[in-house]
Amino acid sequence: MHAEDLLTLDPTAQAVAAATERLPEPTTAMRDTLRRTLTASLRAPVAGLWPALLLEARAKADVRYVEPATSHRPVVGPVLVFAKRTFRGAFQPFINEVLRRQVHFNEAILDALTVVIENQREHARSQALWRRELDARLKQLEKDDPGASSH
Amino acid sequence: MHIHQLVARLAWGDAIGNQVRYLQSLLRSWGHTSEIYAESWDDACRDQVRSAKSYPRESTRDTVLLIHHSFESKQVPLIARSRGRKLLVYHNITPARLFAGFDRGAVLSCDAARLELLALRPHVDGAFAYSRFSAEELVAAGYRHVDVLPFAIDWDAFDTPPDPALLGELDDGFSNILFVGRAVPSKYVDDVLRVFTAYQRLYQPKSRLLVAGNIHRDAPYGGFLHGLKDLLGPEHIRFMGRVSAAQLSACFASATAYLSMSRHEGFGVPLLEAMYRDVPVVAYGAAAVPETMGGAGLTTLSRDPLDVAQLLAVLEREPALRQQVLAAQRARVASLSQEAVAAQVRTALQGGLEGRMPEQATVPAAPPVELVCPGFVTRPDAPMSRLARELQRRLPEARMLALRARGEEPSLSLGPQTTEGAPVWHFTPDQPVGPTPEPLPGSSSLETAVRASTGAVVLLGTDTAVAQALLQDVGRRGWGVRDAAASSDETAIESARHHLGTRLLELNRADIHATADMLVRSLASKKRGSRHAR
Repeated sequence: MHAEDLLTLDPTAQAVAAATERLPEPTTAMRDTLRRTLTASLRAPVAGLWPALLLEARAKADVRYVEPATSHRPVVGPVLVFAKRTFRGAFQPFINEVLRRQVHFNEAILDALTVVIENQREHARSQALWRRELDARLKQLEKDDPGASSH
Repeated sequence: MHIHQLVARLAWGDAIGNQVRYLQSLLRSWGHTSEIYAESWDDACRDQVRSAKSYPRESTRDTVLLIHHSFESKQVPLIARSRGRKLLVYHNITPARLFAGFDRGAVLSCDAARLELLALRPHVDGAFAYSRFSAEELVAAGYRHVDVLPFAIDWDAFDTPPDPALLGELDDGFSNILFVGRAVPSKYVDDVLRVFTAYQRLYQPKSRLLVAGNIHRDAPYGGFLHGLKDLLGPEHIRFMGRVSAAQLSACFASATAYLSMSRHEGFGVPLLEAMYRDVPVVAYGAAAVPETMGGAGLTTLSRDPLDVAQLLAVLEREPALRQQVLAAQRARVASLSQEAVAAQVRTALQGGLEGRMPEQATVPAAPPVELVCPGFVTRPDAPMSRLARELQRRLPEARMLALRARGEEPSLSLGPQTTEGAPVWHFTPDQPVGPTPEPLPGSSSLETAVRASTGAVVLLGTDTAVAQALLQDVGRRGWGVRDAAASSDETAIESARHHLGTRLLELNRADIHATADMLVRSLASKKRGSRHAR
């Protein structure tokens, strides 16, 4: 530890740094093994995107609004579209009030599902890292004691 | 006088809840009427609180409201329509980036809370913060009357006798390293595990790590910590979950050292609690931690687990040094005695109540161009710093924003100071700046200053934490320069492209002047475009 990396008044940073110098020096092999394990444990940055599985549900979570009204019927169609638009325009505030709790519920469920999915992902990642680390340790053991693998 | 407090949630036993209750008792002891208003509360606090919804009705011209802000509250409209004087008490907000990848809800809430901090500004008459680190952000947000309020701690609450069963179990000759706090990503409990692993493997095999605080195993970060424990493979790690006051006392009574690797603390009560209980503290010097430590304990600017493990080993092996650390910690705690703090709180609040708060030189809100170059002071020879100097020469009306030098203390005076021949506004980084290959840390106050501004924003180095935090906020007033030779983070590149489009330029290291020309032309064409649009 360097004195410039310490903020302490009493004892001084220099005194603490000098004390760290007096510690027994770990062997290079021990230090390297530890460094490798610590590096393996670092978590790569994860993109903050929604899980793909939930994208469709997320797009439909806000049930207060629907697709714009359309119709393929030649004559009655425009009348129906006009009627639907008028109805929506007039009643949208009431629709919003009625469906507000449903929207909150949908969002809460989506958040909970996201946590479950991300947690599963995290476990899978930890398992993979742990397997990789175990393999590396086994290989190191075999390298240190080549006779052991032949028994 | 009627002096009330408003808090988003009144919790039992958390630092903010304790502080609100303490202020109420102080105000009442000074003869004022004082109530606590909250949007929600713990069951245990039901008798101490009134619903926030009733405050606008009950407020009069003569009432004073202390608004505690630390998280998204959705209370700005309620505050706006309330009458009387209003004073903000800012506890700081955890930077959203510290929750990224673990807690989407917390990311959104922290961002929303920072926008609320800006939205509150026109409705309050003054603002207090519990550290200079937090006060600096208030000045950056454009608050004119800002003061630092001393943090009051009820030391008597730490005198609970230890649980004898747990104490007997832990007091077995092992060296116990303790961390206290909720296991949330911003506390970096994973780094506590890494430091402990290094300590156990290199210096003390007979050691144990105690993590006292709630860990949600079902949450991604809880799952990550349990996986990490298996991966690192140290022995004797105890995730104790939520503990009682007696159990916590037992943990402290058996602890060899207290270890914190937290990346964000608005103040950091457990650090002082450890000092009060005579446990030497080793803490990473992020955010307001150095201020809380006040030169006592061992604050480290290095987060390398092998370095920090050395400090734990030194505290165990060198009794004289350990005694020196403990003596300094006792002196620190003595300086925060309840009587002294109560007198300081009274003086500070009196200023606020009488409209005599110190006036700060705020950051001008509307320079035409903001040059955001986080490494300008700490890495003056980096290509982005050279480009920043060139741009400032061509755009003299622009304002340069940069991180403070390593180890420099937070200050309410942000600038301008002349650095490298250029006037620069300085902001404290959220974490200590590391040596050159390490990425630069973010800075909540710098980011808040940019959000509060209305000028064009040039992000010099779009892969920096500061630029990444600002990309979605600056919108169409943002320009960015990317150094392809120094950046390899695909996510950061994609985000910059998505938000800036054609306003993202590549740095030509061989010809900095050409990049500066291109950027100045682009800024000028945008200005002309907006004039035509009018």
